Amino acid sequence: MSDKRSVLLKSVSKPGRYSGGEYGQIIKNKKAVNARFAFCFPDTYEIGMSNLGVRILYGALNEQDDIWCERVYAPWDDMEAKMRAENMPLTAHESGDPVGEFDIVAFTLQYELCYTNVLNMLELANIPLLAADRGEDAPIIIGGGPCAYNAEPLADFFDCFSIGEGEENLVEFTRLYIKMKLDHTYTRAGFLHEAAKIGGIYVPSLYEVTYNGDGTVKSYEPKFDDIPRRVTKRIMKDMDKAYFPKKPVMPYIETVHDRIMLEVYRGCIRGCRFCQAGMVYRPVREKTPEVLCDQAKCLFEATGYDEISLSSLSISDYSRLPELCNLLLEWTPESMVSLSLPSLRVDNFSRELMEKVESVRSSSLTFAPEAGTQRLRDVINKNVTEEDLMRTVTTAFEGGKTSVKLYFMQGLPTETEEDLDGIAALAESVIHQFYQTPNRPKRAPQVTISVACFVPKPFTPFQWEAQDDLETLLAKQEYLYQKITDRKIKYNHHDAQVSRVEAALARGDRRMSAALLEAHRLGMRFDAWSEFFSYENWLRAFEGAGLDMAFYANRRFGDDEILPWEIIDCGVTREFFAREREKAYAAKTTKNCREQCSACGANKLGGERSWCPNAKNPL
Amino acid sequence: MSAFDKQKMKPLKDPIPMRLKFRKVGDLQYISHLDLQRVMSRIIVRSGIPAWYTQGFNPHAKMTFALPLSVGTQSICEFIDIKIDREIPTSEILDRLNAQVTEDMKFSAAYVPTTKLAQIAWVSYEINICTDTSDGTLADKVKGLLTTRPLIMKKRSKSGEREVDILDYFKSVTVEQGETLTLRVMLRAGEGSLNPEMIVTALRDRLGLLATAEESYTIMRTGVYFEDGREFE
Ligand code: SF4
Repeated sequence: MSDKRSVLLKSVSKPGRYSGGEYGQIIKNKKAVNARFAFCFPDTYEIGMSNLGVRILYGALNEQDDIWCERVYAPWDDMEAKMRAENMPLTAHESGDPVGEFDIVAFTLQYELCYTNVLNMLELANIPLLAADRGEDAPIIIGGGPCAYNAEPLADFFDCFSIGEGEENLVEFTRLYIKMKLDHTYTRAGFLHEAAKIGGIYVPSLYEVTYNGDGTVKSYEPKFDDIPRRVTKRIMKDMDKAYFPKKPVMPYIETVHDRIMLEVYRGCIRGCRFCQAGMVYRPVREKTPEVLCDQAKCLFEATGYDEISLSSLSISDYSRLPELCNLLLEWTPESMVSLSLPSLRVDNFSRELMEKVESVRSSSLTFAPEAGTQRLRDVINKNVTEEDLMRTVTTAFEGGKTSVKLYFMQGLPTETEEDLDGIAALAESVIHQFYQTPNRPKRAPQVTISVACFVPKPFTPFQWEAQDDLETLLAKQEYLYQKITDRKIKYNHHDAQVSRVEAALARGDRRMSAALLEAHRLGMRFDAWSEFFSYENWLRAFEGAGLDMAFYANRRFGDDEILPWEIIDCGVTREFFAREREKAYAAKTTKNCREQCSACGANKLGGERSWCPNAKNPL
Repeated sequence: MSAFDKQKMKPLKDPIPMRLKFRKVGDLQYISHLDLQRVMSRIIVRSGIPAWYTQGFNPHAKMTFALPLSVGTQSICEFIDIKIDREIPTSEILDRLNAQVTEDMKFSAAYVPTTKLAQIAWVSYEINICTDTSDGTLADKVKGLLTTRPLIMKKRSKSGEREVDILDYFKSVTVEQGETLTLRVMLRAGEGSLNPEMIVTALRDRLGLLATAEESYTIMRTGVYFEDGREFE
């Protein structure tokens, strides 16, 4: 009567990742529910537990009495080796039951580099990797999250995808499954056909893709007349009424965001031209300060966390930020709770209020100019100026901070040497500004510049652009390295090889499933972790699948080309992206939604407390 | 019961110490001491008990843990000292805390202490080993190993690895053989104490026990004691 589980847990690093039993986890009687739903996060527990979206969907599904949603995470490699050696399948966190026995298995796709983990987890769960190989009794595999906006590279592995915000759509999907199971009309094919009629559900196998001789997409044809020609993303129209998880699961081990994450609004008014999140989450939909304050209190009572972080894409764009902060500050000090606002812009926020909130619990300030010159910042529509940066750092220096982190991108469309020089120059001006600040701290300043490689993303004005080839990316990194001479400036850059793989996967089409399968066969997983990433293996995987990485990463997609992801309608139109791209070339900025609507198209989705012209309760 | 309730309780003139006894069993055995500290502070906040906060830049509920427990060891006798600064019956403290934890961590006592945590001198463990016990002399072999000096093992500490006779830490040991093998040991507590996991390692290295995946073990901290052997309170 040996206890296999304890032997296993005592032999791996960080056993708390797997032990479960957390306060707040939801346990149901498996015999009394009609559908068992495994919500998989294809990365470690610590990262998965910090994801707000997963937390919301876990709660929303479990609100349904007859659905039991459980969590699943990717085992670290030491655990995986033991599982394989002992022939133990991947299991769900709450019940410990094998994932392969569930009705529905969902994966949230947060970044491209987790795709190999998805395949690895399917394999560990003994679920056939290819959707076409799954029998009637196999679980239905559904994907969602930001990468589902172009899920084509994963099309062969998934039965379907949930596009957009899943609170309602996943429940409707599971209800349909239950209904068909209960009235005995369920067949795999029949269910997927019905599911394809639910708003936001995309069933790739129901669309026939043809290609041109040059490898570009020729057409997407639905196989049935009663399913939509394009799948429109789902949104929650009224964020005040959207499902809100009142009692989150409390992790025992430290996670990435160990604090209250208060989602203030969805969407973004800014429209930076490289940013996918800023486009696909449109339109902005705000919650009211009163609702947010109640939700914050509720989360404080349910978690005991001592920090509230206001979480949204650009928090200072919230139209009622001072009001919200004042409401929160009415009770947080007495409860020993601190308030933090990530990525604060000083331009529209009062100094007095700022003194009451901590921007971050550290001595550093972060700022993302993204490009080194005003010209290039105009190209990408990042509406910040050097003056904004100087004003912000001065305030920070006066407030006792000495370290500044600046985020940039290299390889942006139209970039020249001058723009790279600008990055170094901007960092130097910050140092200079420090010594110009009369009441600066005594310690020496430290500026860290972190430079990412530009990755063209679907559903952005730069979706057609080519990524710099690897040699150029590396040369530019070296160039910048030579430029930075001041020892007070620390220079970090992303791995160019990783960025290239990311670009290829981001703009991939269905044929890329073969490359992913090949990568999986080469034993790849945890590609987002530098200790596991292998560029050589990725090159081999693409080659093995007969694909050229450059076709996806380094090719300028044609103006009239049908893009693989255009089977999805994210609300924002292709015409808008094309207009924005032209303006980018002309280094012309676009006003943000708050100043003026630029008719991006997202208003057709509806939404309350939004800036869109036709919004209900417009802001 | 809410985290906000403590604001309605009557303030005390001076904070008073409060000792809490709890267990850490089941899945919680896999949580490190550092993680437990964070978890505990959240439990205290959620419960709404009027814990006294340290002053300063980063205020938090003052907590002093008795003996850290290593990962993989369970316990039914963990102690933590806090201070409270408002009026509240001890029974309510228990109710409030127990409403915020799972079965793996229940609080069994709350009282104003009359002793210091540093007075803990001995700690007892029960080590239960699932192994093939058909060899009738197994208990004697184990007992022999754990009573014949010296039993030199490598012990890791802050200052590096050194060799020690682990029996130096022993006060007593009993071994019982039934369907499983049960060891009850009493070890010296406090600075540089012996991780009971080392005993398991000794059995593995010297007697070849627990070498297969079919065998498993549990370790339970069963009691803590004053120098004179009386149970600590
Ligand atoms: S429709 Fe106008 S206001 Fe609404 S998201 Fe698009 S650009 Fe912004």
